[in-house]
Amino acid sequence: MSHRSEARGMGLWSLASPALVLCVWELAGRLGWTNPILLPRPLQIIEVFLGLVSSGAVLSPLLHTVGLFMIGYVIASLLGTALGIAMATSQTLYGLLEPLVESLRPIPKPALVPVLFLFLGIGKATMIVLVVLASVFPVLISTFQGVRGLDPVLLETARTLQISRSRTIFSVILPASLPMILAGMRVALGLGLVLVILAEMLAGEDGIGFRILDHERSFQVREMFAWIVVLVALGGAMMKLFEIAERRLVPWRGRS
Amino acid sequence: MRRAFVLFGLLMMGLVALPASRAPAADLEKLRVSIIPIGDVAPLFAAIQNGYFRELGLEIDTTPSAGGAAGIPGLIGGSFDIVYGNVVSALLAVQQGLDVKVIAAGTNLADPAMDATPILVRSDSGIKSGKDLEGKSIAVNTRNNVIWLYARAWVKATGGDPERVTFKEVPFPQMEDALRQQRVDAAFMVPPFSIVASQKGGLTKVGHPYSDVQPGVDVGQYIATGKLVAARPETIRKFVTGLRRGVEWYNANLASDELFKLISGYTRVDVALLKMAPLPALPLRSDMSQVKKTMDLMIENKLLPAPLDLQKIIDPLAL
Amino acid sequence: MTAADIPDDASIGRTRTGTVRLRPGSRAPGVLLIVALLLLWELSSRAGWIVSAYWPPVSHILAAAVAQLAGGEILVSLAATLRRAAIGYVAASVAGIALGIVLARNRALRCGLLPLIEIVRPMPTPAIIPPLILFLGVDDALKIFIVALASFFPIFTTTFVGVASIDDTLIQTARTFRISSTRMLYGVVLPATLPAIAAGLRTATSLCLVVAVLSEMIAGSSGVGYYLVEMQYAMRPDLMYAAVFYLALTGYALNRGFLALEARLIPWMGKT
Repeated sequence: MSHRSEARGMGLWSLASPALVLCVWELAGRLGWTNPILLPRPLQIIEVFLGLVSSGAVLSPLLHTVGLFMIGYVIASLLGTALGIAMATSQTLYGLLEPLVESLRPIPKPALVPVLFLFLGIGKATMIVLVVLASVFPVLISTFQGVRGLDPVLLETARTLQISRSRTIFSVILPASLPMILAGMRVALGLGLVLVILAEMLAGEDGIGFRILDHERSFQVREMFAWIVVLVALGGAMMKLFEIAERRLVPWRGRS
Repeated sequence: MRRAFVLFGLLMMGLVALPASRAPAADLEKLRVSIIPIGDVAPLFAAIQNGYFRELGLEIDTTPSAGGAAGIPGLIGGSFDIVYGNVVSALLAVQQGLDVKVIAAGTNLADPAMDATPILVRSDSGIKSGKDLEGKSIAVNTRNNVIWLYARAWVKATGGDPERVTFKEVPFPQMEDALRQQRVDAAFMVPPFSIVASQKGGLTKVGHPYSDVQPGVDVGQYIATGKLVAARPETIRKFVTGLRRGVEWYNANLASDELFKLISGYTRVDVALLKMAPLPALPLRSDMSQVKKTMDLMIENKLLPAPLDLQKIIDPLAL
Repeated sequence: MTAADIPDDASIGRTRTGTVRLRPGSRAPGVLLIVALLLLWELSSRAGWIVSAYWPPVSHILAAAVAQLAGGEILVSLAATLRRAAIGYVAASVAGIALGIVLARNRALRCGLLPLIEIVRPMPTPAIIPPLILFLGVDDALKIFIVALASFFPIFTTTFVGVASIDDTLIQTARTFRISSTRMLYGVVLPATLPAIAAGLRTATSLCLVVAVLSEMIAGSSGVGYYLVEMQYAMRPDLMYAAVFYLALTGYALNRGFLALEARLIPWMGKT
């Protein structure tokens, strides 16, 4: 049983508690229990949010954030999978790369921002590399564990059948370790989003992260919350899309 | 196994119980002040070090915020009693309905020779004025704030159209690299970055937006919430008194080793580096007409929709 | 979904089937690679290939690292960061495990709370800091809250899924013996879920440090995160890089420590 199917099973009931929270929040605002400047009412936030959507102002920052994220995430997923498989199947590559991976991995990625600014300048390249750095390690490690955890009989069989190395990787190893690769990509999704928002905050050109910080610095709290709503919607949509893709790719998953 | 678990628990508890701060001195009224670790707040530290606040019955607890990002939001969130911030942020906060007041002057830049906040360009770029910057880019630390505002005003004052200049957000520490790597064409820099950058050669100062555009501009201010000013007027008065004694000491010791050592202590910048640029004298009082000029600039650049009542924003104590 | 499916942030050398045994010396090329890269760094700075106030030679960084440790300032910063991370982590563990178990076993609460949790979950941490500053200020309350929030989700999710996927026969068998609900919890549910909980705790272990540093960078006045920003503004990149080094070391040690502890506490871990 997966808790996601459970959540779907609840149907409309799953909207009840968020609706209740919003009502209480709205009511508290109207009764003057909250500071209207610091915490706008939900209806006020929704009004600004709808304004952003209907005027199309939401589009450019949204595309900026999604674009940077997707580029970084795709690179990280491909790189992580490739390195993971390479390190799991080749003892030489493992010996060469393992110490480097293990020493780069524990560095909190935000601490690398000044170095990236120096080499890549302040712009899209830095932001994409930050997303890649944050997302690549979970994919790499999960892939590595997936490949190393494969049934040895499977690989033996491939060897006995004299299947070429590249075909073994693409037809045997990759499909068999797909659940673990996807599990790593799920973690990477969240981390990548965190870093893209952070990068936009630090090197403000455009994007949702820049909007949130810019409105906070100008004390435009309603606009700030409206952009946070945009971000939550984006994050939620990404996770949903990922789940759908995962269910398609690994249909046997969750039927344990 | 059980023992390891207990050990782990104890370790966690130990970390949780680590003391958060040192014990407060008895009988002194405590004020938490958020500062930006730059030379401008030297009078505050001088007043602390020389015991001026203590004599008045105050204990000042300073909290640094590099770049000043956490200042006024932290004041609103209740972390600080007083914040050293810039005049534009304060006016933006008031415009959005937040209850903040200027209680003391911070800086007053009148003399371009003492102004260490220049616009730098590459010497071989041929850029000399705002007019030359049209179609090019200039680095500012944040858009829609004080540096951005005066960079725009400077472009306009030197014959350029700010709308045709790209203002790029670059954190101060990265400005010099961005400029030298030709990622931007100009940069509005502050010390110590401006000092280091101009020492190394290859870069030229083409202007000083603050002192060129508005000689005598009050950039920095000490800001408190109106609530605190109303509730503890005596405390705020004591703070301003102690701070003014600090300003007097600072102005009397501008070239002294003691002052450079003091500034190096809280900014962590090398004394040798600090000594490369002269320190400007700092003001005792805010200048209402200067704040008015800044406000007009903000209206002109669409940061404010309409004038604000400055009488309500600048507390009489500051004047 | 079983515990083994949950991607952990464990080290590479671990697999589902156990630790990979390596021939001694097999890491030597990798270590050499790192040394070569560091030498390249040193050379690029000294020879002036890369001219920047923020690219000091490695040797300067090493000297700074030694001075930092001797002066104790890095320890003070690390302690402040670890303290915040630890408090947030403990709070998140308690809340995550408790809510995970309760929500998995109680339908009414699940209907009420799970949708709320699902809404907050996709929110990236940096986005939540600006609004929170206005309510919680910039002190420990803010940072600990953010650490706790970020660490909560992996712990909650793995616990929830772990409890929900316990074999029904196990529960039914326990029911037939009419054991009390407390004993059911401690005797049946917890031991069966422990590997899943541990996986969530492990992810949270590295997460809590990163988030603590991040919050200190954005709204800090102490701790390693603030120290990094402070040294950048003070034009002391050597001290900054040295602090990054110590931070990485701490993260590595935390992860290793957790794995060692886990191996001792849950010997049946990984045998799913």
